[in-house]
Amino acid sequence: MAEVTVRNVKKRYGNVQVMHGVSVDIEDGQFVVLVGPSGCGKSTLLRMIAGLEPISDGEISIGGRVVNNVMPKDRDIAMVFQSYALYPHKTVGENMGFALKIKGTPRAEIDAKVAKAAAILDLGHLLDRYPKQLSGGQRQRVAMGRAIVRDPAVFLFDEPLSNLDAKLRVAMRVEIKELHQRLKTTIVYVTHDQIEAMTMADKIVVMRDGRVEQIGAPLDLYDNPSNTFVAGFIGSPSMNFIKGKLSTIDGRTVVRADGGALLPIEGVQAEEGRPVVYGIRPEHIDIGPGGLAARVSVLEPTGSETQIFARLGDDPIDAVVKDRFDARPGDEISLLIPPRRAHLFDGASGARI
Amino acid sequence: MRSNKVGWWLLAPTLAILGIFGILPFIYVLYLAFHQWNPFGANPEQVFNGANNFRRLVFDKEFLLAIWVTLKFGVFAVASEIVIGYFLAQLFMREFPGKGFFRTIHTLPLIVAPIVVGSIWRLMTTPSVGIIPFYANELFGIDINIGRDAGTAFLFTVIMDIWHWTPLVTLTLLAALLSLPKDPFEQAQIDGASRSQIFWHITLPMIRPAILATVFIRLMDALRTVDEVWMLTGGGPGAATRYLGLHIWKVVFPKTDYGYGAAISVIVLYLTLVMCWMLYVGLVAPRNKGN
Repeated sequence: MAEVTVRNVKKRYGNVQVMHGVSVDIEDGQFVVLVGPSGCGKSTLLRMIAGLEPISDGEISIGGRVVNNVMPKDRDIAMVFQSYALYPHKTVGENMGFALKIKGTPRAEIDAKVAKAAAILDLGHLLDRYPKQLSGGQRQRVAMGRAIVRDPAVFLFDEPLSNLDAKLRVAMRVEIKELHQRLKTTIVYVTHDQIEAMTMADKIVVMRDGRVEQIGAPLDLYDNPSNTFVAGFIGSPSMNFIKGKLSTIDGRTVVRADGGALLPIEGVQAEEGRPVVYGIRPEHIDIGPGGLAARVSVLEPTGSETQIFARLGDDPIDAVVKDRFDARPGDEISLLIPPRRAHLFDGASGARI
Repeated sequence: MRSNKVGWWLLAPTLAILGIFGILPFIYVLYLAFHQWNPFGANPEQVFNGANNFRRLVFDKEFLLAIWVTLKFGVFAVASEIVIGYFLAQLFMREFPGKGFFRTIHTLPLIVAPIVVGSIWRLMTTPSVGIIPFYANELFGIDINIGRDAGTAFLFTVIMDIWHWTPLVTLTLLAALLSLPKDPFEQAQIDGASRSQIFWHITLPMIRPAILATVFIRLMDALRTVDEVWMLTGGGPGAATRYLGLHIWKVVFPKTDYGYGAAISVIVLYLTLVMCWMLYVGLVAPRNKGN
């Protein structure tokens, strides 16, 4: 158990700076997810916490101890790799007990700890198998078992579910979350999948191009994204962005979309003509009389909900409704957009207004 | 089903070559092994003599000595090649100035014909002419004479073999090391393994198939080496470096004892197979469960 502090960490490869002063505070027992598109530096940051990648500048501490120059083996961490990184020539049991064996732990104690971890993950009947004889999900669990056996201060997960099929991924997501609730160990988890981030994290760190875009609780990021990048990254399907300008009509502030539509907003002082980006999540749009006229282009029914791709003036817009919805491409529909659900971002910087 | 005729026709040239140059001579050698045949002896006819050639082998001191020195030669040479080859492979995994140049130079012995290798080493070791005895004497006051001292002669055949064949081992092991995934090694670091523990627990088991394949190839080669050693020492002094291949040559050609030579060849083939089988059973088979 330990807290992890990342203080103004930078990373350079020769002359190329790939990480520009990242700071993250991770409390003891917290489940923190680093999320962002590929190349954003999230895996590099994780590898720096693990000690597999040197830090060019800044400070990382684990449990109050600065570990910049501490070897990975002395950091009291366990890591689960995307490829699982199982030792191919060792059995499941040997894989899980390797760290303890290296430490010189007595055989009986190793066996007991491996058996306990195997019981948690339902691996008991596989202990004598070799990694090649296991399915992807089983290998994934062995990799986690190997981490659990160590009883480390911090778990590091590097995209552990990326190689699994969709169904298994959902199951493992639940399993990892349960594991965290049971062990209450600090977890740093890297993923590019915002659903994983939203469903598992206590705290999400959204990264882009070696910088932290926003840190916060999942729903906090969902409700109050600090810029268009976070707003677009968090939530599925993605938020609609419509470019336009602020204007006042009949004493009410609206956004006049470049495509022609007039979009309602709330609580913003009009600065006539300021270029803005109007954001509204598809699931907050409703269909009903008295709304904005739009023309349907494509419908995607999934059974539980229907996703509607339409055009609002010249702007594409995307809505998700819970009910079955019957329409044909080209039909006119009326979109209800609640003004309090709208997000407003600066047209130039993308920052929240 | 499609006719296999065309396939067999396409295979025919290969099968013919294999048959004429591989299978027929082998059968002929097997046939000769059970005959007494010395065209320049008292009785030049081929006479069937059952297993007498093989019985003679068991009591042939020269043959038994040849087996013993050959095994010694094979074990020393191959073991050294594996160790040196591994370290060179590790060296080539790193970046250092002049790496490409060094790697090229290091690989050159492989393309030199064995007879030439033998000549080069003969020149380098000839007493009072060769560079090695000269400097050994000049710098360390050691007198090296491979024509007189059996131990030195043996040592130099081993060194020559190492010089010639280590690059092959290096290249094989380098390929094996380069193909290893990176993650298990990082995992081992996190698991707390030291460098030597990583070597024994992770690297070695993971490149084990490559090592064993190399040992097989090199051991079989070493057991039938002829021309290099023939050039360097001629099997001497005495019979100190008269390895099996050389021994067979001496029996077959100067003595023209073809039947007996054939019997030795068959036995050597058998011994090689047995050794490889024992290596396989002892080292490869038990570890194959996971693969």
